[in-house]
Amino acid sequence: MTFSGSHSSPWRIPFMKIIAVVLVAVAWELFPKLGILTSNTFPPLSKALATIFSDHVFAKHAVTSIGRAYGGLTVAILAGLPLGLLLGGWFYRLQQALEPLMELFGQANPVILSHIVVLFFGIGTGTQLFVISWLSIWPIAFSAINGVRSVDPQILKMAASLGLGRWRLFTSIILPSAAPAIITGVRLSAGYAFIMLIAAELMGATTGLGYVMATSSETGDMNGLAAAALIITVLALLTDLLLKQAGKRIVVWRYQGVVT
Amino acid sequence: MPERQNALTSLLLRSSGIIFFLILWEASSRLRWIDPYFLPRFSVVVAEIGRLIQDGSLISNLAISSARAIGGLLIACLVGLPLGFIFGRWFPTAAEALDPLLRIMSQVNPFLVLMASTLILGFGETTKFLVIAWVSVWPLLFYTITAVRSVDPLLIKTARSMGISESGLLQQILIPASLPTIFTGLRISAGITFFILVAVEMLNASSGLGYFEHNSAMNFEIAGMYAAATVIVLLGFLLNRFLIALERSLFAWRAPADFLLGSVHTDKKRVLWRPGRFATATAAVMILLLLISGSFEIQRVNSERASMLSGENPGKHARHLGSEVGK
Repeated sequence: MTFSGSHSSPWRIPFMKIIAVVLVAVAWELFPKLGILTSNTFPPLSKALATIFSDHVFAKHAVTSIGRAYGGLTVAILAGLPLGLLLGGWFYRLQQALEPLMELFGQANPVILSHIVVLFFGIGTGTQLFVISWLSIWPIAFSAINGVRSVDPQILKMAASLGLGRWRLFTSIILPSAAPAIITGVRLSAGYAFIMLIAAELMGATTGLGYVMATSSETGDMNGLAAAALIITVLALLTDLLLKQAGKRIVVWRYQGVVT
Repeated sequence: MPERQNALTSLLLRSSGIIFFLILWEASSRLRWIDPYFLPRFSVVVAEIGRLIQDGSLISNLAISSARAIGGLLIACLVGLPLGFIFGRWFPTAAEALDPLLRIMSQVNPFLVLMASTLILGFGETTKFLVIAWVSVWPLLFYTITAVRSVDPLLIKTARSMGISESGLLQQILIPASLPTIFTGLRISAGITFFILVAVEMLNASSGLGYFEHNSAMNFEIAGMYAAATVIVLLGFLLNRFLIALERSLFAWRAPADFLLGSVHTDKKRVLWRPGRFATATAAVMILLLLISGSFEIQRVNSERASMLSGENPGKHARHLGSEVGK
């Protein structure tokens, strides 16, 4: 969502947006080179980029991290979406009973829970997937509940009186009406998944960008840290952009963005 | 009294999920479905919480964590709110032009900020405040800009035609009209802050609730670990509930806007109580007292830890970053 307002001319704002980003990139490049920032702690942009492309290890770690983040997000969608749709659409009393518990679970910090999960799953993929996906489940579930509950009852009644069966009612009325809320939830969840990806990899992994960050900060390799940081930020950004575009494409009639 | 009965059954229904979960926890440990060494009984964990409150370690760590959270949030407010008003009111074009840049910066991973600032500023308190402020400033800034920009232009025009000054406009129109949305941003910030704070304390601190949980796990004090985790989860839950209730009572005329971080939107909530000036002042004083007492506690614990490190006994365990979980 952009802060829509009066435009002085149609091309000026997009142009200025690009300029602002480019200016900061130039500053990142020039400040260390001119000695305004010490280049030992702030390596210039070109150096970070060169580090990424000179070392194939980065590509490998990046692929591992992408796999983990998207794997976690997939697990969260597979768990949260059916849960939300079922609770929102069919089991009102069950939803009433489970909602406070779900709220409590949503507040449970996976970093803290990881100590407990490790006791059961051990160190490895299971715990990592848990840490990454746990936080992402709840926004999806809650947004699905809210999306289903906010379907216009007039449309439902009309569709039912036109003789739509339960399944058709679900696929052609409820799901499209709930889609904007669900996509908003998924976007929020994707952000959480990327935050928790790094936490999971910092805590106990031997691959991935978080691991690169941990090792390069221990050895004081600022180039490696900057390179990993750049990749992670770009990945998170691209994922958000992708989901935003997907949302616009799926929900052409009413797109609601989150403010954050 | 059908209404009261209704409220009672609804309360029972709504708490049944949590009660069932707690019974399941107690039973699975008591009946040895899960090894009680890995999963202590809920009653044991409650007793452990009671013991930790009595010996003071829980209160001390709680004070430290809240001081860090409040301090970080205050910094974020001091930066985010004025910037939001300046951008939203006086430089809307600049706000739009900077929008992608700010979005990029808000996507920067908080753990990355933690590592970078640890390298540059060291392991001290500044790093923690910086990370927390970084995390919480973005929702505040974005919501403030949006709030100021979406003030009804008719209100502004009317006030202008009555000859209001710019500062009067700010005080009497802009701030009151944008407060509800700003508060939503603050609530989201506070929620995220608590999450990240505990994680940061676990990775890189020698005090606070997150550290306490981590330290118990490292020393295989399983009951203590569960006790700390339970307290943390409960605190997050209560904080979220409290802020939602506060938002509802402060801005009763407005429908709750944001459901994503917490609960399901339910309408028809009656507002029982609205905080007045006295309640607000009391709350502000209490928050300030918590901040001050917490910072004294931080200083005390840190100096204690420093003297321990320089002496013969170098603390329970010294290394956090990169150390594997459960070892």
